[in-house]
Amino acid sequence: MTNVLLIIFIISLLYVSIANRIITYVRVLALQGVILFGVTFLQLHAIETWNLALIMLETIVFKAIAVPVFLSYLIKRNKITRVTEPYLPNFISLIIITMIVVITVLLANSIQDTHLDKIFFIVSLSTLFTGLYFIASRKKIITHVMGYLMIENGVFVLSLAVGNEMPNLVNLGIMLDVFASVLILGIFLNKIGDVFKAADVDQLSNLKDY
Amino acid sequence: MLSISLILFCSIFFAGIILRTKSITSGRMGPGILQPVKDVIKLFRKGTIYSDTTSIIFRIAPSVTFASVLMACMVIPFGSSKGLVSFDGDFIFFAYILALGKFFSIIAAMDTGSSFEGMGASREALYSMFAEPAFFILIGSFALLTGNTSFYKIFSSLHLGSSITYMLGALASFVLMMIAMIENSRMPVDDPKTHLELTMIHEVMILDNSGFDLGLILTTGYLKFAMYGALIADFFIGNLTALWAIPVFIFIQCLFAVMVGLIESFMARFRMSHNPQFILALSSVSFLIFLGVLLVLEKFV
Amino acid sequence: MINILIGIIITAVLAILFVNSKTKGIITLCAVFIVGIISSYYSLEALLGRNLNLLMNGTSIFGQVPVRIDALSGWFILVINFTIITGAIYGFNYMKQYMDRRSDLTLHSIAFILVHFALIGICSVQNGFIFLLLWELMAISVFILVIFEHEKPDTIKAGINYLVQSHISIVFLMLGFIFVAYKTGGYSFDAIADFSRSQSTLAGTALFLFFFIGFAIKSGFVPFHTWLPYAHPAAPTHVSGIMSGVVIKIGIYGILRMLLLIKTDYTTIGYIILLVSTFTGVYGVMLATIQHNLKKLLAYHSIENIGIIGMGIGVGCIGLGATNKWMAVLGFSGALLHMLNHSLFKSVLFYSAGNIYQATHTVNIEFLGGILKKMPQTAFLFLIAAVAICGLPPLNGFISEFLILGALYNWVFSANLLSLIMIVVAIGGLVLIGGLAILCFTKAFSIVFLGTPRNIKPDINERGPWQLVPLYMAVALMAAIGLYPAFFLRALERPVNLYTHNTVFNLNLLKVEAIDSLQTINWLFLGFIVLVAGLIFLSRFMTRKRHVESGPTWGCAYHSAGSKLQYTAGSYVRSYSKLAKPLLDIEKKDVGIEEVFPGEKHFETDSYDKIERVFIDKPLNLLSRVYDLFLFLQNGHLQRYILYGIIFITGVLCIPLIIEKMMILINFLNNL
Repeated sequence: MTNVLLIIFIISLLYVSIANRIITYVRVLALQGVILFGVTFLQLHAIETWNLALIMLETIVFKAIAVPVFLSYLIKRNKITRVTEPYLPNFISLIIITMIVVITVLLANSIQDTHLDKIFFIVSLSTLFTGLYFIASRKKIITHVMGYLMIENGVFVLSLAVGNEMPNLVNLGIMLDVFASVLILGIFLNKIGDVFKAADVDQLSNLKDY
Repeated sequence: MLSISLILFCSIFFAGIILRTKSITSGRMGPGILQPVKDVIKLFRKGTIYSDTTSIIFRIAPSVTFASVLMACMVIPFGSSKGLVSFDGDFIFFAYILALGKFFSIIAAMDTGSSFEGMGASREALYSMFAEPAFFILIGSFALLTGNTSFYKIFSSLHLGSSITYMLGALASFVLMMIAMIENSRMPVDDPKTHLELTMIHEVMILDNSGFDLGLILTTGYLKFAMYGALIADFFIGNLTALWAIPVFIFIQCLFAVMVGLIESFMARFRMSHNPQFILALSSVSFLIFLGVLLVLEKFV
Repeated sequence: MINILIGIIITAVLAILFVNSKTKGIITLCAVFIVGIISSYYSLEALLGRNLNLLMNGTSIFGQVPVRIDALSGWFILVINFTIITGAIYGFNYMKQYMDRRSDLTLHSIAFILVHFALIGICSVQNGFIFLLLWELMAISVFILVIFEHEKPDTIKAGINYLVQSHISIVFLMLGFIFVAYKTGGYSFDAIADFSRSQSTLAGTALFLFFFIGFAIKSGFVPFHTWLPYAHPAAPTHVSGIMSGVVIKIGIYGILRMLLLIKTDYTTIGYIILLVSTFTGVYGVMLATIQHNLKKLLAYHSIENIGIIGMGIGVGCIGLGATNKWMAVLGFSGALLHMLNHSLFKSVLFYSAGNIYQATHTVNIEFLGGILKKMPQTAFLFLIAAVAICGLPPLNGFISEFLILGALYNWVFSANLLSLIMIVVAIGGLVLIGGLAILCFTKAFSIVFLGTPRNIKPDINERGPWQLVPLYMAVALMAAIGLYPAFFLRALERPVNLYTHNTVFNLNLLKVEAIDSLQTINWLFLGFIVLVAGLIFLSRFMTRKRHVESGPTWGCAYHSAGSKLQYTAGSYVRSYSKLAKPLLDIEKKDVGIEEVFPGEKHFETDSYDKIERVFIDKPLNLLSRVYDLFLFLQNGHLQRYILYGIIFITGVLCIPLIIEKMMILINFLNNL
């Protein structure tokens, strides 16, 4: 069942690569949160109940509910245009993300460790690189934030893979999540939205020294 | 023998069910289920008008397309009984003979010398080109899973046991259903109702056909639908005996038709320039299915 | 026997020098025919198991020259003979328009005969030195054939491009052969075999790669392909057909022969060949789709088909390395059969293009249209060849693609993860090639032959029988292969057996299984044709009593079905070219609409090969910039040149003197 959920996770990555509206990104992030909730439930059976309950609560509340709601509120409030503006056409994004998955599979194959569950490694690396790719290829600042959230999801998946042996790693992952939600979304964009009316990265380069 | 008669039987009702579903969801009663068949029979009785610009290609293309779809139906098995023919590598034959039918319908459309039909032909050629890798990688994954290379052997030895194989089966039926929609020019890739220039793909290629030829082309469309429905049904009835298999088959075909009708009623068509990336996404999903098969076979460790 | 052949050729060459233009053609045809018949007889014997082994006495430089026609050479020689004979028949009539150019025709006919001889020779000799000699002879003869229309500067540029790249390939081959000769002292092919067996596998692989690069330049694998799209359109039609049909296949022969001789790590080589070929195939067909020149389109298609042949060879090699007999058999049979198929349908396509060029004097697709009504036979032959080249049933292209795909699917069962990813890439690539080929050839066929004429004069008629008979011969063979593949697979038994003989298995049993599938396909194809005929008959029967009318194209009530409203080639592939833009290099030249009542405007797109820009143009620019630094030396003044001479002589005389003086000084300083 875990494998099923993780494959659906990768399909969500493919879906994001051909999406045209920002609201789709937000919805996919919510979906990823729900999937991670399910994976947490199935995978982490060796840690204490209250810790597990806390992790699952955090996953569902932050990743699946709070962050998407906040993001959509931000989009409406700052009147960001609803269309993603990529530098490369979506067709090429799709090909690149498929290649990322292929290369990750090949990479995972060359690891000789039998203790690691390969599928987690593949999903986590793919998500990480996909998030990085989104940051690099989209114009809007809000998609940068979403790319960062995706990277976080990827790191969380990897921590789940070893979560049974090292539960503190999972807790660290969650704290990273909380940090991101509070600091970046709450303070950064709000302040920038007030002072600086543009939502494009290009305009940010006006902050240069010279 | 059983499979091709069942496919022919289902094709009679298929288009009618789709039409009825669409009508009911829009709040009307809709035409009877046999109405498309009656339309075809009516067309067979009519005369034909041929355009001056066209040549012999235009006259023989509908027959070639119909023959190709009929030949393709011959290799589809039915659960645990073979199709009319079955040999190793028959899915390659299946895909290529359908491509031959498409080739002729494309050049027949270009034959008319109208820019409308040329546009449809160019789009049809592009989209069918992208749908091919998805189909082959999908069948490749299942060949890997079951260790065989013919339709009949793959489907008869397909045991959907664990949850992951069920998910693979569901994903595979999704991909096949999307390929079926692309090949039959339905939503979300093409809209059969529209007659606006910007939005036609398949409908536009047959604008100049009339009479017996048009009847043949419509029959080809219905047959193709039933054929893909049979392929999708085959995923799930591999182990059942004939007594159970026939009702399940018919049920899955009707379910497929109803779903097509629902998708057509509730979804808008994709923007034309987004179609290639959608079709390529199908190939990526096929690749994911391949990965899933690798997981099942534990080739990863 | 060799002496008879050489005698015939020398007689023919001498005779050509002295007769008038028309007889030149007849003599060429007869000479090619006779040589062809003799070599075909021996090739058929070889395919049936009786190899021909001759030993000619050579000189002390290169030792004895063994001449052997075994099954592999036999297959290639048969293909070569068929294509060159059809080429000669076609060329005989095609060259009639150049009757007044006697000296050009002399050279052309002599070069034709020499090409035939060289090709057969390359397939039969087993001595490295003679091999290289014959290779050079072939390269130069093809060059002479290509630059027949040397008054056009483009032709000369194309020919020189071809000549330079051909010689680069010869350099690689020479390095390989001379290295072996240096290490073992002999030039014969057996020496290569012994040498590679005695060395490590790595040395064998490196040696094979050298040969592979040399042969790849000749065959047109990417990125060594840049001469192909220039040479094929520039040459006269029958020469293009021969080049595409057999000259680039000689590279494949070389690769196959070296595979037999050199003992290497088959798996690694297989992977390399498979990867290069998949890329070649996809790149070739991607660029073919956007060409507007019909011959250039066909040239890029040759690159794609060489890619498919290479894929078959690659899969076969991997099968040998993994001792998977199914894979090896299917892969090699597919590659060899596709070689025959490609020479057949490519020559038909080129000859049809030649017919069109002769009738309309243009090969630009955008200016043609509606030719089917005026030249129905050419159109019909082009259609059959187009259906075959896309690999569609019921013709021969499907059979070879079926074999190669079958090999790939069989590999799936015994592969590890890396190979599985490779398989997915290869299958996806092969299928994508098929799809793109359909896109390309529907465009070519429909825009050239269908619709209304775009820009051409109305007085075109069908060409004469001399220019249709070779096409019919080739199409008949294509249909035969398509409808009776089992027979041809049996003929391929011996050449493929050469590769798989060192794995122990029962050849007959395997062949029966493969033939089983093909027998079924056989019946299916016949059934299909009967079904189509039946349906056409039925439709005629049903409409016989009904009212049949004809009128203008309806096209959803667009009544002006003029030629200007039709879809053009550029628009047909526009959505595709937008998707593939990063890989293609398309320049658009347009004059936009600016005023309120627009006048005449232009729009032109031109495509350029990106690999050529990166690999050839940029280094050449760099090189010429380096050379430009020395431009001052070549200033045209006679006095300066004499000054250079004086400086040189002074230097030669004085430098030893100066050196001696300096030695004395240094000794003196040392003694201090």
